[in-house]
Amino acid sequence: MTAIDTAIRATAADIELIGVTKAYDAKTTVIPPINVALRPGEFTVVLGPSGCGKSTLLQMIAGLERVSGGKIVIGGREVQDLEPKHRGCAMVFQNYALYPHMTVAENMAYSLKVAGVSKADRAQRVGVVAKMVGLADFLPRKPGQLSGGQRQRVAIGRAIIREPGVLLFDEPLSNLDAQLRHDMRVELADLHRRIGATSVFVTHDQVEAMTLADRILILNKGLIEQFDTPKAIYHHPASVFVAKFIGAPPMNILAVTGDGSALRLADGQVVANYADKGSFQLGIRPEDIAVNAGGSIKAEIRYREDLGSHEILETNIADQNLRITMPFGAEIDTEQTLSLSFPRARLHLFDSETGRAIHNAFDDAKTAPTFVKEYQ
Amino acid sequence: MSSESSLFGHCWLPLLLVAPLMLLIVLFFYVPVFQAFYWSFFLEQPFGGGSEFVGLQNFARVLSDPEFWMAGWRTIVFMLTASTLAVAVPLMLAIAADRKIGLSYAARNILVWPKGIAGAAIGVVFAFIFNPFVGLMAPLNALFPGLWNPGMDGTDAFVTLVAAHVWSGIPFNFVILLAGLRSIPPTMYQAAAMDGASPWRRIADVQLPLIMPQLFLTFVLEFTESITSVFALIDTMTGGGPGGSTTLLVYKIYIDGFRGFDLSGASTQTAILMVFVLLLAACQFVFLGRRINYER
Ligand SMILES: Nc1ncnc2c1ncn2[C@@H]1O[C@H](COP(=O)(O)OP(=O)(O)OP(=O)(O)O)[C@@H](O)[C@H]1O
Ligand SMILES: [Mg+2]
Repeated sequence: MTAIDTAIRATAADIELIGVTKAYDAKTTVIPPINVALRPGEFTVVLGPSGCGKSTLLQMIAGLERVSGGKIVIGGREVQDLEPKHRGCAMVFQNYALYPHMTVAENMAYSLKVAGVSKADRAQRVGVVAKMVGLADFLPRKPGQLSGGQRQRVAIGRAIIREPGVLLFDEPLSNLDAQLRHDMRVELADLHRRIGATSVFVTHDQVEAMTLADRILILNKGLIEQFDTPKAIYHHPASVFVAKFIGAPPMNILAVTGDGSALRLADGQVVANYADKGSFQLGIRPEDIAVNAGGSIKAEIRYREDLGSHEILETNIADQNLRITMPFGAEIDTEQTLSLSFPRARLHLFDSETGRAIHNAFDDAKTAPTFVKEYQ
Repeated sequence: MSSESSLFGHCWLPLLLVAPLMLLIVLFFYVPVFQAFYWSFFLEQPFGGGSEFVGLQNFARVLSDPEFWMAGWRTIVFMLTASTLAVAVPLMLAIAADRKIGLSYAARNILVWPKGIAGAAIGVVFAFIFNPFVGLMAPLNALFPGLWNPGMDGTDAFVTLVAAHVWSGIPFNFVILLAGLRSIPPTMYQAAAMDGASPWRRIADVQLPLIMPQLFLTFVLEFTESITSVFALIDTMTGGGPGGSTTLLVYKIYIDGFRGFDLSGASTQTAILMVFVLLLAACQFVFLGRRINYER
């Protein structure tokens, strides 16, 4: 294994986007100016809903799409006006984009062939890469004779064979079934560890994002909502959008009003003590809600969903939906009204107009977290 | 399958429905074909009045005639040059149109128009375009007298013929090849670009291999087309001349049969030509067709 470990090893490059924008036509700006710096060797997952500009961002880094403005710096070089081949990036596509008329070996070796690498060297590199991606027995086959997972392995092999400093993935796992997706995820994490290239991975699957990423970049309509570690994003979402986007089931968001001493729901129930006045959005994750007889907050059960390992209760509180996750076997009184309490440390408060988080709103003792950053 | 049988309760109904078409095919294709083969074994009197079975004598006569071999050779030269160009030119146009170069919308439309024009009309137009005194080449002729004269020079006449044929072949081949190119997923080019392939390299390594089925189709059709459909062009443009330099086999058959009233000789040459075309198509399928990757 050690021989292979050292055989394909990239010199990771850092990526910097400085005021990069994209507009396909004069009217619609897909990506407003954004600034991001990705560290060398970092695995960044770009996460966001469909159509938010994830692929566009990736293709601009790759050089497949021109930037409308701004600079892209890879490994200290300004590359926004360079051809893809001069940027030191490789890409894995969602639909694999393998050359159907070439064998697995030819597919993987094509970039080397174009670069003028000798036949013997190509064969040797293909051998090493094929072993890394587990395709050693399939080299003479055509892509049409492979399964979806094997095809994606070829695509990954093709990308890493040139030892690129930057690896770009555009939803590479979304054409695979659930089990294969999981296996490939584990393999990708392992490959990344061994190759060490700076990786940018586009997905709209939050599980992939949480498990693979060093840092997650959450995009919404081309804007960066938050760029942070999976942990920070989960525990300290920077906006309502992020809070609702990460976590399954997603975080509950309740409209509350501050009267100077407490936050109240529309029906007057006090959910937490708080000193400021005004209207806010209060977030709490379904699994953080405590159901106990002593709880002062009342909610009515509308629906129970038994998922085996846990149960999800859909409840009604002040005409708003509140989802609660209960561990399996937890006793719930059969009466329709639940008594709840919201642990203060687990509450999130957001500005009701901008949707941005109000940090340390309930942090009575702890020091302020410093890792949640603002962008734009 | 079951829906088909429930649709047609009686087995004679489908037969009845295809009958008109079958009748046409049999009447105007198979009957003449067999007739030609049949006649090639008989000596036919030019003005009617009985025929006589002569076995392979017609073949012996035709095959020993140097004129036949000359016409055959010209046919092959024409087939190779004209059909290659008739695929290559639309291929270049299709690749350019696929890249959305310049006026592709207008160009695409204009390029399709010749499809609707009959061969004879093309012949008349091209005879005019390439006229040494008023045509496209007239200015060059003024500079270098005698440079271009298809009426006198056999090579010039042949070139004119090839040009007219290539032009008439553009629309169909262009549409087929462009359709093939359009169906290549864009990510294929993106992948090739990431692999460092230049646009020219992409043509050779990605586009051409992926439109092999379309190239094969156009080549097979062109090879057979160029042998037969050239008749209208020859008839209107050169009349086989000058000095027989554009007398291809189809035209020679027509001359021999309808001008020289050598019906048996014409039938024999027709039979030989048909066998040649058949063998050609078979060879293409056997040697090329099997190697084509139809997968996408
Ligand atoms: N070639 C193009 N011309 C015009 N608009 C485009 C083009 N490509 C993408 N867009 C628009 O840009 C926006 C972002 O597209 P993009 O493909 O980057 O989204 P995405 O985040 O990758 O979405 P998905 O998750 O569905 O792949 C979309 O609104 C899309 O309609
Ligand atoms: Mg996309």
